Amino acid sequence: MASNGHSSPFGQATPNGNSNSSQTPRRSSRRRTNNSNSSPASSPFPLETPPSRPAGVASTPTTSRRRGTRHNPNATPSTPLSTDDAVPPYSSDRDENDNMETDGQDDTTPVFVWGTNISVQEVNGAILRFLRHFRDARSASESSEAADLMSEGKYMRVVHRIMELEGAESLDIDAHDVFEYDPDLYNKMVRYPLEVLAIFDIVLMDLVARIDPLFEKHIQTRIHNLKSSVCMRNLNPSDIEKMVSIKGMIIRCSSIIPELKEAIFRCLVCGFYSDPVLVDRGRINEPTRCLREECKAMNSMSLVHNRCRFADKQIVKLQETPDEIPEGGTPHTVSVLMHDKLVDAGKPGDRVEITGIYRAMSVRVGPSQRTVKSIFKTYIDCLHLKKTDKSRLQIDDSVNHDANNNAANHEEDDASLYHDKIEKLKELSKLPDIYDRLTRSLAPNIWELDDVKRGLLCQLFGGNALKLGSSGASLRGDINILLVGDPGTSKSQLLQYMHKLSPRGIYTSGRGSSAVGLTAYVTKDPETGETVLESGALVLSDRGVCCIDEFDKMSDNARSMLHEVMEQQTVSIAKAGIIASLNARTSVLACANPSESRYNPRLSVIDNIHLPPTLLSRFDLIYLILDKADEQTDRRLAKHIVSLFFQNPDNSVHEVLDLTTLVAYISYAKKHIHPVLSDEAAEELTRQYVQMRQRGNTPGSRKKVITATARQIESLIRLSEALARMRFSQVVEVGDVAEAFRLLEVALQQSATDHSTGTIDMDLIMTGISASERTRRENILAATRNLVMEKLVTGGPAVRALELLEELKKQSSMEVHLSDLKIALSTLTSEGLVVFHGDTIKRI
Amino acid sequence: MGGPQYDLLMNPLGAVRQTFEKAVASSQPSGLDPTALYRGKDWGIVDVLNQFLFSQGGLAQVPILDASSLKWIKPNTLVRFRGMVQDMLGNEFYIGAFKDGCTWRTNKFLDFSPFSVPPVSETTLWERRLFHCVPVPGQNSWAIESTPYPLKINISNEMTCQHGEKRRRDDDPDGISDFDCCDEGSSSSNKKQKDCGSASHHKIAEITNGSSFPTNSFSCLVKVYDMPESQFKLNEVVEFIGIYTFDPELTTSDRSDNVDDDMSMFDFMDDVATHLPPSKVPRIHCLVSQKLSTQDLISNSPACEPLPNVIRGIRDSLVSYLSCTLGNDVIAAQCLLLHLLSKLRVKSDVASVGQLSLNLTGFTQESASIFGKQLNNAIKTLLPYSHTIPLTIEYLNTAMLQPKKDNESGRLLMGALQLASGTHLTLDETVMQSGTLNSKGVENVLLLKHLMEHQIVEYDFQFYKLEMATEVQCLIISEAKSNILPADLVVPVCPSAVAPVSASEEQLHAWRWYLTTVRSLPYSTDTSICEMLQNEMVEAMRKDRSLGCSDLSRWMTMAQLMAASFGEKSFSVEHWQMVKEIERLRKERL
Repeated sequence: MASNGHSSPFGQATPNGNSNSSQTPRRSSRRRTNNSNSSPASSPFPLETPPSRPAGVASTPTTSRRRGTRHNPNATPSTPLSTDDAVPPYSSDRDENDNMETDGQDDTTPVFVWGTNISVQEVNGAILRFLRHFRDARSASESSEAADLMSEGKYMRVVHRIMELEGAESLDIDAHDVFEYDPDLYNKMVRYPLEVLAIFDIVLMDLVARIDPLFEKHIQTRIHNLKSSVCMRNLNPSDIEKMVSIKGMIIRCSSIIPELKEAIFRCLVCGFYSDPVLVDRGRINEPTRCLREECKAMNSMSLVHNRCRFADKQIVKLQETPDEIPEGGTPHTVSVLMHDKLVDAGKPGDRVEITGIYRAMSVRVGPSQRTVKSIFKTYIDCLHLKKTDKSRLQIDDSVNHDANNNAANHEEDDASLYHDKIEKLKELSKLPDIYDRLTRSLAPNIWELDDVKRGLLCQLFGGNALKLGSSGASLRGDINILLVGDPGTSKSQLLQYMHKLSPRGIYTSGRGSSAVGLTAYVTKDPETGETVLESGALVLSDRGVCCIDEFDKMSDNARSMLHEVMEQQTVSIAKAGIIASLNARTSVLACANPSESRYNPRLSVIDNIHLPPTLLSRFDLIYLILDKADEQTDRRLAKHIVSLFFQNPDNSVHEVLDLTTLVAYISYAKKHIHPVLSDEAAEELTRQYVQMRQRGNTPGSRKKVITATARQIESLIRLSEALARMRFSQVVEVGDVAEAFRLLEVALQQSATDHSTGTIDMDLIMTGISASERTRRENILAATRNLVMEKLVTGGPAVRALELLEELKKQSSMEVHLSDLKIALSTLTSEGLVVFHGDTIKRI
Repeated sequence: MGGPQYDLLMNPLGAVRQTFEKAVASSQPSGLDPTALYRGKDWGIVDVLNQFLFSQGGLAQVPILDASSLKWIKPNTLVRFRGMVQDMLGNEFYIGAFKDGCTWRTNKFLDFSPFSVPPVSETTLWERRLFHCVPVPGQNSWAIESTPYPLKINISNEMTCQHGEKRRRDDDPDGISDFDCCDEGSSSSNKKQKDCGSASHHKIAEITNGSSFPTNSFSCLVKVYDMPESQFKLNEVVEFIGIYTFDPELTTSDRSDNVDDDMSMFDFMDDVATHLPPSKVPRIHCLVSQKLSTQDLISNSPACEPLPNVIRGIRDSLVSYLSCTLGNDVIAAQCLLLHLLSKLRVKSDVASVGQLSLNLTGFTQESASIFGKQLNNAIKTLLPYSHTIPLTIEYLNTAMLQPKKDNESGRLLMGALQLASGTHLTLDETVMQSGTLNSKGVENVLLLKHLMEHQIVEYDFQFYKLEMATEVQCLIISEAKSNILPADLVVPVCPSAVAPVSASEEQLHAWRWYLTTVRSLPYSTDTSICEMLQNEMVEAMRKDRSLGCSDLSRWMTMAQLMAASFGEKSFSVEHWQMVKEIERLRKERL
């Protein structure tokens, strides 16, 4: 109890009547009540405070003893009323405090600040009570057992800390605390901030002087976190001279302006230095004559610049942030005056919340003009500046922690995120249709493609990354998705949207990015010759989504880098003598156009996109977005378009989460939800996987083959984890697994639908040739063989392929293309029947 | 009230004062504080003015403030100004009312107080909104209304007569003059004016001080009172009727006195108004304002009721006129008509409905010089606001298309794409040569593309971009289909003859009326043909796999516009068939 120790010298020095009377705690408490709810004039007992200042004289031996015996840690100090039995343990403080409260009262008539209903004494007392006794309700309940630490009010502790450190010169006061403790004081403070803050500073100075008379620094009060903040464009004349809190973005800072605080003048005649002259209402009264008796020279005093005291001042322009600007408006700006420590506290581009006093200043037309403009310039005298979060919710915190110990930092993060916000998100997660709702909310302007959106949603949520402790191998939790599709199927818009949604999203086009651009590269600093490692897109999007547009246009070199990224989640660089492995824990979302620009259903996915199967298999989901000839979809499209013209299209989109909520939802889930597979889910997973593997088992195909591998089961686990995350569920349930399978299957289905028959054919994606295609090819082969046997003689003249095609078309009922013929001919060549050279065919 | 005692035209401030005194007097018995009573409220002056302007036909007598009339319009008189809200400069606090001795006085509608203002404690602060307005960019000459000549003479004569009587107060040593003296200050110009009798040159242009404001442009700082927030939006065209004030005292003092030590600081805090010196940017204290639609620009409409047969007649003549300008290409003319009638109807996240950007292809440099010119002229004479951008590499690399906020001066710098809604934008791609676009060029192209696709222009606020919805019809003239700026509708033009195009003033007027009226017609929906349309679409998609969402919605848009072009509110099968026919013929050309 540092303050007690400090105050004792006072007590010994000045015993007086008041301190004697205050030995009875009942009396002191009664007086407090009086002070807090009525003007001092109505006080029922005489306040015999002597005019002399040092009145803080409580710790007489009696009180100390009493405190020792009646120690009562449970007394809630913030209740002003206390009975005899429940004497607060800090009665000495309180007594001293009571005396201080009456300090300003030289006589019994209350002093009001001119033009207001503020009684100086009353406010003085209220502030002192607040500073001394305010205790954080939350922290108090937490550490009830550690009552010893709570011996002082929240702000007293801060004051002590400031004094110990001697560093800070300001005391930050949360306006919410003030309101909680004394709403009346809060209201006064907001309405008459100039007056109340002046009293605040005086009280604080007194308080500090009492604790340590040698402490010289002036501690300023900085109020922040007002109960309500004003929108910049709603500031109006009635707000002038009030305390306001506004949010905005700093767009411009002036250079630092030195403001004269104390001036010293020197007589040019005799060299006499004047006493410091204080600034009075923005003016310095220059002495007209030398003050020295012997000199008295007229107009001889000149300012000595380097002996004057200056304070920093800066003017900052604050502009409205985009979210506050109504449609069709331009942002408003306001000037903010910064003093001392607040100078350079914010830089242009920072989003800040400012608490200050709104002031107006009349404008002189000019120094030579007598007329005063009737216009006022307004500015805010800044009291407190708080930088606010950037627009995207930070989930990057977890980057520093491994996924395994994420659980450990739950608590600390909780405080930073707003509770009610979390509650809202949790409420959302409990909705039965949250999955659909999220799907709808994702890129609502892109029509249809629901399953693709679901997949993308899974990618945003992601699975759990796993580090196998024994082997050191890690399993990625990120889901990679490839979108292949016809031009104009809004793939790029989807990518752009995902980029917007994902924290640390990187959007790059395969066409422009080289290997280094996509990953990381080493440069030499031209000046120092140091080698510097510069990360590329993939490293930059660590823990984010890397969107690669025009994946097919990417150079093979760059693409090969992706192999490592997509499975090991690292990028290795061996350049300029540096071998480094950088984390690139990123989900890859790529989109590609088919190699013939339009998807050719006759070819397999692999042939269509010209990607090596090794890379392809690293994508958890491959979606084909095709313009399919399907009357159902056509009809739906037609209906959609017609309805767009005939109805208000707004009602078609409803119950969607807006972008910010969606981002918040995702980041919260990614940070806090780490679902685990339940036993049933695991069982279901194995069962279905085995089933799928059997289906994919087609022996004897000669094309590049992707069979269901362990990768697929990993994808399934990731997908089901992501699905559980969407519900904020800590357990992966059977339903999630089923949906994961469905998603995978839909993706396969899309890429594996045989367009000539309309049936799902797993062969297509697995082998590149569908079953129906195979039979068709066999038919053509047979026809060609017959034709060749018929028309061509062994060793005879060569025939042109086109001629043969004509013949074939005549004979065959089905449609035959040159490419079909060529495939057939190449088979025949391999059989040794013909020689197929360029455009001519010869029979051997 | 029985008619205003004061000449509202020449001395509106007198009326302001009179009505204020009257209002104060009437509030006195109730014991209410008049300042509190009339804060943010009108005390009757607007009613008086409205009556004068609209009931007594005073509107025609109010001179229009523009670059030329600025020379002879006298300060503190009533003026009209039509302009686009180019920038919103926020609010301004001023001493609204104060007690001068025992009489209440007001500073409303004034730049600064003509009375000595008592200490701050005895005044009340009111607020007003500042708008920086410019003449609508791309406004074609026929749509600019100017003060008719006889009126000019009339007013200036009148002014000089009154002027002489009031001259005496100019010498008032205190600079405090009465309201009656509406021309305090600007003595130099006034004296000149007296000498010359009529429109003489104001000294305004000569009072220059180091401002970056371009000299050739004309703009106005409009101060609007008692207006709810966001009544005016950026880029809206508004007609303001208010008091034009000009005070040379303000001018001289504004920037030249950096001697004051505080000035550097106050300059920083200064509102943007200082960057708009009153010498160049006249102030208007707005009393009455109204938003203008394109319809308002067409004076004395021929037919109030858009009758179908009248509409059809005008339509036919317009199509033939348009086809004439395009070398007798009727298909292109039909498409052009639909394009000219297009207007963004509904905009949501899902889609924008109603816009139809047009790309006329098949122009070579030579043919573009003939037909492009004719086309431009036709558009200029038909639409109130139009703008042409030559798409050259150099232009794209250098031009400032994007409106940008200059945080130094606090002003929004006008980019070429800050356009009033309803502006027609022609992009001439025939002049494009191959070359490299720099980053600015790429940015500009993206901006144009964004505008075409979404009818949105991003304004640059340095630290963030703000999307502003615009309504601009885009027409692209190019050699072949423009891939840089993909339009909704691509029509190759096949001119067959070069015919001299001419139209009588009467016809032009009818067409203008037709275009604006039809564009503003409401659409209604006839759901009975929904089923038919869906079937048609499905059928079309079956036939042609390349048809996409965009094609189908284009058809819908065109059908709706087609119906509108005949003055119908909802489209029928007939219109649908017409569109299909146009599409068929168009496809043949591609």
